[in-house]
Amino acid sequence: MKKNLKIYSILFLLLLTAGVNAQNTTPLIQSKLDGTIVDDVTNQPIIGASVVIKGTTHGVQTDAEGKFYFQTGQKLPYTLIISYIGYKKTEVIVDKNPVTIGIKEERQELDELVVVGYGSQKRKDITGSVASVPKANLSQVTSSADNLLRGAIPGVVVTQSSGRPGASSSVRIRGGNSITAGNEPLYVLDGILIYNDNNNSTAGVANAGATVNVLSTINPSDIESIEVLKDASATAIYGSRGANGVVIITTKKGTKGQDNISYQGYFGFQNVSKKLHVMNASQWASLRNDVQASIGQAPSFSADQIEAFKTSGSYDWQDAIFRTAAPVQNHQLSFSGGDEKSRYAVSAGYFQQEGIVIASDFKRISLRANYERNYSQNFKFGVNTNYSNSVSNGIGTNGGSSAGRQPNPLVVALYQPPVVPIRNPDGSYNLTNNPYATAINGIVPNPINDLENTTNETKINRILASLFGEYKITKKLTAKVAVSGDILDTKQNYYAPSTTTTGAGTKGLGSVGDRLVSSVLNENTLNYNTNFGENHKFSALAGYTLQYTEGEVVNAGANTFVNDANTYNALQDGVPVKPYTDAFESVLKSWLARVNYSYKGKYNFTLSGRADGSSRFGSESLWGYFPSAGFSWNITDEEFANNIKGVTEAKLRVTAGTTGNQEIGNYLSLAQMGSVNYAFGGTLYTGLAPTRLANPDLKWEKTNQYNIGLDLSLLDRKINFVFDVYYKKTNDLLISVPIPLTSGYASVLQNIGGVENKGLEIGLITENIKTDNFSWNSNFVFSTNKNKVVAIGNGVDQFFPVVPNGSLLQQQPVTVKVGLPLGTFWGYKTNGIFQTQEEVNTQPKINSLANTKVGDRKYIDANGDGVITALDKGNLGTSQPKFVGSFSNTISYQDFDLNFSFQGAYGGKIFNALNQQLEISTLGTNANVTLEDRWTPTNPSNEIPRATSSPLGIVSERYVEDASFLRLKLITLGYTLPKSISTRLKAKSIKFYVSAENLITWTKYTGYDPEVSSYEQNNLYPGIDFGSYPNSKTFISGLNITF
Amino acid sequence: MKKIFITFILSAGLFVSCTDLEVAPTSFVTEDNYFKTQDDAVASVNAVYASLSLDPGEQSLFGRNLYFLTDMGSDYAAAGVSATNPQVRAMSSLTHDATNDRVQVAWRQIYAGINRANVSIDNIPKVTGTEAVKTRLINEAKFIRGLLYFQAVRIWGGVPIVLHEPTSIELENLKTKRASVEEVYTQIISDLKDAESLPATYPATDAGRATSGAAKAILAKVYLTRKDWPNAIAKSREVINGGYGYALFESFGDIFNKAKKNGKEHIFSVQFEKNQAGNGSSGSTFQSTAFTGFTATEPADIISDVALFYDIYAPEDTRRDVSYAKQLLNPATGTLYTFPKPIFKKYLDLTNLATPGNVAINFPLIRYADILLSLAEAINEQGAPTPEAYELINQVRRRAYGKDINTPDPTVDLVGLTQTSFRAAIQEERKKEFVQEGQRWFDLVRWGTLVTEVKKVTAKNSVSERNNLYPIPQSERSINPDGLPQNPGY
Repeated sequence: MKKNLKIYSILFLLLLTAGVNAQNTTPLIQSKLDGTIVDDVTNQPIIGASVVIKGTTHGVQTDAEGKFYFQTGQKLPYTLIISYIGYKKTEVIVDKNPVTIGIKEERQELDELVVVGYGSQKRKDITGSVASVPKANLSQVTSSADNLLRGAIPGVVVTQSSGRPGASSSVRIRGGNSITAGNEPLYVLDGILIYNDNNNSTAGVANAGATVNVLSTINPSDIESIEVLKDASATAIYGSRGANGVVIITTKKGTKGQDNISYQGYFGFQNVSKKLHVMNASQWASLRNDVQASIGQAPSFSADQIEAFKTSGSYDWQDAIFRTAAPVQNHQLSFSGGDEKSRYAVSAGYFQQEGIVIASDFKRISLRANYERNYSQNFKFGVNTNYSNSVSNGIGTNGGSSAGRQPNPLVVALYQPPVVPIRNPDGSYNLTNNPYATAINGIVPNPINDLENTTNETKINRILASLFGEYKITKKLTAKVAVSGDILDTKQNYYAPSTTTTGAGTKGLGSVGDRLVSSVLNENTLNYNTNFGENHKFSALAGYTLQYTEGEVVNAGANTFVNDANTYNALQDGVPVKPYTDAFESVLKSWLARVNYSYKGKYNFTLSGRADGSSRFGSESLWGYFPSAGFSWNITDEEFANNIKGVTEAKLRVTAGTTGNQEIGNYLSLAQMGSVNYAFGGTLYTGLAPTRLANPDLKWEKTNQYNIGLDLSLLDRKINFVFDVYYKKTNDLLISVPIPLTSGYASVLQNIGGVENKGLEIGLITENIKTDNFSWNSNFVFSTNKNKVVAIGNGVDQFFPVVPNGSLLQQQPVTVKVGLPLGTFWGYKTNGIFQTQEEVNTQPKINSLANTKVGDRKYIDANGDGVITALDKGNLGTSQPKFVGSFSNTISYQDFDLNFSFQGAYGGKIFNALNQQLEISTLGTNANVTLEDRWTPTNPSNEIPRATSSPLGIVSERYVEDASFLRLKLITLGYTLPKSISTRLKAKSIKFYVSAENLITWTKYTGYDPEVSSYEQNNLYPGIDFGSYPNSKTFISGLNITF
Repeated sequence: MKKIFITFILSAGLFVSCTDLEVAPTSFVTEDNYFKTQDDAVASVNAVYASLSLDPGEQSLFGRNLYFLTDMGSDYAAAGVSATNPQVRAMSSLTHDATNDRVQVAWRQIYAGINRANVSIDNIPKVTGTEAVKTRLINEAKFIRGLLYFQAVRIWGGVPIVLHEPTSIELENLKTKRASVEEVYTQIISDLKDAESLPATYPATDAGRATSGAAKAILAKVYLTRKDWPNAIAKSREVINGGYGYALFESFGDIFNKAKKNGKEHIFSVQFEKNQAGNGSSGSTFQSTAFTGFTATEPADIISDVALFYDIYAPEDTRRDVSYAKQLLNPATGTLYTFPKPIFKKYLDLTNLATPGNVAINFPLIRYADILLSLAEAINEQGAPTPEAYELINQVRRRAYGKDINTPDPTVDLVGLTQTSFRAAIQEERKKEFVQEGQRWFDLVRWGTLVTEVKKVTAKNSVSERNNLYPIPQSERSINPDGLPQNPGY
């Protein structure tokens, strides 16, 4: 492999040096022309438009006043070709001097070229479901590109796992197909195929916590356009990686014309959008007394003490974890331009965000260079490169013996009894004075100290580079060869000093880890385009691609440090722990083909397919085949449709096809032996034991998808309507099926079961008002998806995924059950509180609570057998919303523009595990203020049970909350300086803006934020909120200048 | 121009031919290329032992997890304020149900160990190597398997018997049925009888492996549990008189002394060494949960009732201050620190207070004193205490009081008891002897006194007859409801 790459690169260089010389012409000076280019509607001059005399190579740019000037050998009249980004290419015959030419702004029209897999097509000819992210969405403030998809396109649901800077998110295109394998779409960045696997941003350092979003290595300011391929006709060309949809990202390229320098920058601050209501000292002291009483112990606090706490001695731990006005800033400097033969775009960006939780932040430096050159008439080559360096400090997880109930320092802070001081009188952190927590080596955990003093750093360096050459063999046949590389290096540094929860037990705990993943992709395609007469248009694509990926992981650690001076950079100063290394490689070989045929532009047919061979699968099934077919009918091109009033364009699309999903990780078909230690005679020996059962039949998941769509433009394209319905059925699902523990294993990975998704999508882009000074455009997006598990296989119709957390493990809040959607919560319905002993004696109880007392919670005996058992649990709803929608508006008035967008989701649920834990009364942790209303003989609450010292965590409808929300996601007000002023400042344009994000959220959800997923991209237990990093309100002001 | 074209075709062609889709892993061993040599067999049996002391991500079976069931679920041990896991607290108050995670983890750990033993027993015959060594390794695996089934049958009653590694991943082939208690014991006795042919001793470098004496000692306990007094007596006598060299340590504290590991009293111990579980942890979490530093904070593992279980020791009884610490010397200040309540001390390494999760004190799964008391109990149950039975219990008592073990001493020796009072004496002695040794719940269930004894502790008065068994884990029953009927009361 490596040897071949070397040969290849030599050949590629050879290829670049071959070719022919360019032509040069010198015109005779005979005629002069003075002209001005203006916007057809606003009459504003257009700066930097390209004006070319047709039939020659003579071209100029308009200046800051939109003026141009020709001295040319051509005689009037001649034809000018005027082009400018965002405007229609215009040809005008000029017969007088001077001249003013108006050009029209380009709208979403059917002639527009749309990027599709391995090429582009006219929107009119497309059969598949392909949508573009509106330009307005691309200018949002975000650390990561996937957030730009949020609310932009029907059928795409983006859920951020938390509000942490650089947090990962999950992106679902038309619902999740897979139960345990990856559900993220495939990203194609300038032709480089990337699966957004957030495991690549962790080197496995213990206690480091949530991963960094890998897509945050791409600077969103560099993005020119994003296209989303949704149906099988569009995605089958990506075969075994197409099932979850494909997101094609194109970065900014230079255009022929004047060189531009532009600066974009903003500065802002963020605050936590909401705080939880936990008890103050007085409330908690009285709760603890009640807990003590429930176990027959004397009260801990006197009535006087409880009263005194109202004025002093109450400490707000939640407040201490948040920063106020955490700054965020971004600076982007770019140069772009081009001439007859070359185009370039170069940019440098710097993004920095401090988290709203202390000690967390994210910083990124990114560089990009895109270059393309027409080497000759037949040969073109180019290069796109991207480098980014990001550094992120996370909040980590909480080490220690009871970590299960305390997933991170944020949650620990909420649990802190409010009578415990945060700091000592001398200002240092309180590490001793807490009688309610376990001291480790004399250190009592203090989460604020943990956050402040633990190093938990993830540094990611990524290089993405692609090189391509395109050669026109004949007028109709083009060959393209591309080679690209993706190197992703993640270094993690962790150090918990001996004063922290995690480091106290071991006198400091340091570890470092590095993960290097590199991928080389070669793509070779042939493109053939021809017309048979006027009516038959035919094009074909064929190709072979190969992607080779390898990864290496190292991880080392030490503890028992003499002091906390050297930390993770001198592990040799401590006592080493067992190191860890890992390596993996995978190969994906593919053949791909696509044929398009169009009759009179009315009827369009597309056939496409891909054959993929993947090393990830079992020896019995290495190759998979993924075909698709699509048909579209431009109804308005039919004669009978000519007279339908108001209908400008109408197009019907019908497609069907098969795609696959290979995202299961490497080597999983093999039986793995894992190493363990045991000691004989005081010496450690290695033992090897099987940790996984083999499955040689392991293969891709297969999704069959059917789509019917209608594109409708009304009233001269003032109303543009896109409507799609689809049905997807995924079979051969990879499921880690729980098997009886008596086998010695907890689960085995198999291709069994199926999932179904069906849905409806509506996109509506309207031009509401358009006058000379005022315009209002809006974009309405609506989608609904119904997800259902249709089979799990093995005769099983339900299983409970193991949630990797001590307190949720056995509660089994989530189930996978045939007939229900993924992410269904499973638990008891409640029925108030036992008010009398009579009720306790006669009504059904959770039979394990042998000593049910008055004041305990009642659960509903669903099966009527007189006792409450696991059989009485039932469906409490799913985390998947019934529908999601967004409504974005752009209003401009003279030099002002206002953007605002609402986003919302309806019908989804969240299991609020944090609140469940906060409503468990213990002797040592704080509680939700709702427990103020706890049952007592004098307060016969029917909602909150009595205080006890050992209640179990029980999944009930109380903690499965409605996650519906409507949010004013973004509001931006911009002002562009009048030309007259900006010209005086020697700038082409200057724009100021202010913006607010997450300004208002309407929701019933009681946790921090209804858009949450503590287990990140996991599809088995989405929608669990166990103290995720809260969301923030962000206010920024920014400046864009172009010179 | 042709050059470019040819280069194109060539470069594309090069990639086509250069890779293979079958990529072999370099970072782990697969089962296909395993079980070739005797070294493979040895390593596989090492892993069988490790199932007792290591479970990544969880507290290991004998490193504390079983303690929740066998000690915290009995009378003397309880969950302190520092135990914030409600499941653990439920165990302490005996209000746990079938979804209790500690019970499920114990079930998983026991069957994972049984499977590792099955893998070894199934595959070792095919490796190259000395037959004698291979037989020994198989018998070591059988010892662990018998030992684990012995835990399982007492905790849950009749459990599924699995004797081979899975050969298919089909659920129907993996489903099991609860066997009868009788059938499980038949299997345990068969495995342990095979293990009786293990060597009596090993070279010092192999100390800690299962021996024939260990197999006989566990067998004696099996018979005792089954109230098969003649066999219990016979097996105990084989352990005592079989020339194994077992004896009581002169000092009770030596049982938990790192320097005396695998000594004359230790018949079989679960081994814990520093960093055995990796990442600065030995796999034993007893110290970190019983000792929270020199503060008044109540640890996670505490004595449930000082009057009932601490004050009962005579002042001269050395077992009290080995089992519990009322005071400890704080090395940082050089002063004695007095705890509000005595803390558990057996697994405290006073030389290693700084890293409580990396403590290298073994867990004495069966020791000689247990055999002496078991034999005394069996003899008494056959009718009345005999001089032999008196001598057995008195040896244990003399050692406890710091007397010469083999010299009768009227100040500590018991005399003139009836069968009933001798039985009570044995029960009292075991209560004092085996604090935190995973014996108490098994003892109380065997004697049929669980409910009456546990009820004496106020915070544990939820105890009922159902607590003589633990529930089959709910997650296991939801996969296999037909094969695994629930125990009564859950």
